Amino acid sequence: MSEPRASRLARPALWTAAALAVVVVPFYLEAFWLMAGLFAMSAAVGAIGLNLLTGATGQLSMGHAFFLAVGAYTYVLLASEPGSHLLGFGLPTPLAAVLAVAAAGAAGGLFSPIAGRLKGAYLGIATFALIFLGQHVLFNAEPVTGGYNGRAVPPFSLFGFSFADTPELVVLGVPFGSLERLWYLAVVVLLASGWFAKGVLAGRPGLAMNTIRDHETAAGVMGVPVAKYRAGVFVLSSMYAGLAGVMLALAFQRTVPEYFGIMLALDYLAMIVIGGLGSVGGAVVGAALVTLLPQVLTRYSDALPLVAQPGTGGFSPAEAARILYGSVVVAVVLFLPAGLLGLAQRVRRRLAGAFPHHPSTPSGSSS
Amino acid sequence: MSRFRLRKSAFGVTLVTLVALAATACASDKAVDGSVAIGADGVKHGPGVTDDKITVGLITDLTGPYAPLGKSISQAGQLYYEKVNAAGGICGRTIEPIVRDMGYDVQKTVSAYTELEPRVAALPQFIGSATVAAVRDRLEAGGPLTLALAWAPSLLGADSIQMTGTTYAVDVINGVDFLVKERGLKAGDKIGHVYVEGDYGDDSLAGSKYAAGKLGMSVVEQKVKATDADMSSQVSAMEQAGVKAVILSTAPRQTASFAGVAGATGLKVPLLGSNSAFAPQLLATPAGPALLGDFHIMQASSPLSADLPVMKEIIDGYKAKFPQDGLDNGVMAGYTGAVVVGDALKKACENKDLSRAGIIAAHRSQSAWDGGFGSTMDFTDPKQPPTRETYILKADKEAVGGLKVVKEAAVSELAASYEIKVG
Repeated sequence: MSEPRASRLARPALWTAAALAVVVVPFYLEAFWLMAGLFAMSAAVGAIGLNLLTGATGQLSMGHAFFLAVGAYTYVLLASEPGSHLLGFGLPTPLAAVLAVAAAGAAGGLFSPIAGRLKGAYLGIATFALIFLGQHVLFNAEPVTGGYNGRAVPPFSLFGFSFADTPELVVLGVPFGSLERLWYLAVVVLLASGWFAKGVLAGRPGLAMNTIRDHETAAGVMGVPVAKYRAGVFVLSSMYAGLAGVMLALAFQRTVPEYFGIMLALDYLAMIVIGGLGSVGGAVVGAALVTLLPQVLTRYSDALPLVAQPGTGGFSPAEAARILYGSVVVAVVLFLPAGLLGLAQRVRRRLAGAFPHHPSTPSGSSS
Repeated sequence: MSRFRLRKSAFGVTLVTLVALAATACASDKAVDGSVAIGADGVKHGPGVTDDKITVGLITDLTGPYAPLGKSISQAGQLYYEKVNAAGGICGRTIEPIVRDMGYDVQKTVSAYTELEPRVAALPQFIGSATVAAVRDRLEAGGPLTLALAWAPSLLGADSIQMTGTTYAVDVINGVDFLVKERGLKAGDKIGHVYVEGDYGDDSLAGSKYAAGKLGMSVVEQKVKATDADMSSQVSAMEQAGVKAVILSTAPRQTASFAGVAGATGLKVPLLGSNSAFAPQLLATPAGPALLGDFHIMQASSPLSADLPVMKEIIDGYKAKFPQDGLDNGVMAGYTGAVVVGDALKKACENKDLSRAGIIAAHRSQSAWDGGFGSTMDFTDPKQPPTRETYILKADKEAVGGLKVVKEAAVSELAASYEIKVG
């Protein structure tokens, strides 16, 4: 595939600009936006995992929130110092984070005999049960989870550098609190997770996964061990969820069981549908949109028409966000089966087609 | 131009920009300057305070399970600020409330708190215990004075967090005392307790168990989920156990279901509801007659129907400003919280210190706050609820807010000696 010259020049410039923006952001954005960004990046990691499972392999999972919870709570449990009525192991936080991801993977592995056999809506229903199971355990296993009120999350620290508000750190005159520090960590983690998932999708496993999604029998005939792949992808997706859980816990600074409910699981499904099924970019775009939309609307409720300041009657921003969110899902399903990312690609192809010297890239399901 | 050279030059551009950024970082709004802000009138400023404005934040639930209550609470707050501003504000500054809806969702709560925290001088309204718990560590580390609208003991113990009224357990202990003194319950009797899972139910149950244990009675427990609507099986369980009274630490609809079913099946025992178990709207439902029977509410704040000048003022003001909305307990709770914070700000202004620490210190210096609401509160000890008094109220169609006082606020001996586990 030969790129047009303009795009060959534009690409590195675009990447440089993006990298620069990422570095500069914590110096200027206020805490609210950094927090929103952290949520979006954490959600993106989780959505990438779900997209591997649901988008690329065609396995519907409603239980993603459960694995997020496993990751978050395992991290808290392992990294916390033992308290008077709460268990804790006081492990170094990087080790606790790695083990938390492993634990989420192990939980996915325990479920894989089921994940390997069921498909489509049946797996969706089976995984749905995980949410209820998880909620019950989280509320009642108080020594581990802290029960209803949850537990404080110990700040992450790497090679002696603490991602917390203390000790105070001022960079170029800007105070660097936990949000600013976590921002860079989240960017690195998101890039690494995206890069790994891209590798999986572009390689033989990706082809096998897509074949299972498109035609299971054909995949089997071609020598793809279908059940093994299904189970394997489920474990991988759980590990992504676990990692997202750890990131969310760090951003929240406190884990509460209520958060990891049905709504969260549905949010993740909405992310990959809106963004675009089966691709890393789609997951990231969807996660950003689903996470940021309500926040933006709330933040600018004073300036938007039709949306009233909460408490004064009229349309509240949360309601407006929900209506918008619902309309986006419907619109995407109806008009953009490939999601927002698909739309972007379509626009790009159109633009490329506008240059007579360069025929448009062959269309097809390259995603 | 080869790709390699392009990359290299891109790297150079990045570097140059970074250096430029370093030179101009002071242009960022976030940059700190070390000086302490002092207003033109010599009052020390903290976040959310300027020469002509004090910003306060309301983190409330307008779309989640507590939406009806959240609306009343927020509107009552707005009512107070309008009144204060019309009278010239506090400390010569107008009060500007910012409302954020979190729909009882923890993530939205954390975002709302993150957004409001640097902009406000106080949070006169923060609904829910799970939601406050989510940001508790940050509130403790230099957060603004916060009025938590939940009565769980887990909210005690932080300098910046204040609950009004008393904990669920203390209410229930006073309620059991009422059952013994006025309804003739005695040692050996069984008390039924239907409670929802979570802070509210758990702490209420701790109260009934404590009181029953001290009085030689036993508690028959029935735990329900917040989403359960039909209480028939709980009623029959209570009937089978032969309880002499039932305490309901449930949501209003569940209370209505229980009272209605109990009235129809012949479980004729006194019913006692926790402060969040009742809403005046229930009186218009088929369960209304049952609720007008032998059913009482335990609550630490005086009802709107109490004969106090401040209540008249609230009722008239609220009816004038929000004629389409009914008056309920939320109006009281919201107004009280706003007044508590307003008084703390006034006191901090006298001390010429509107910094966060100054406002909290001013608030914590009040040992007998009244505000015209009939019961005095002691804010000096963050580890204790400001009062242990409970009113016993009865549903009444004619009364404003649907409740009238049966027994004035009082502390039972049992409640006075009850040890509250903090945190």
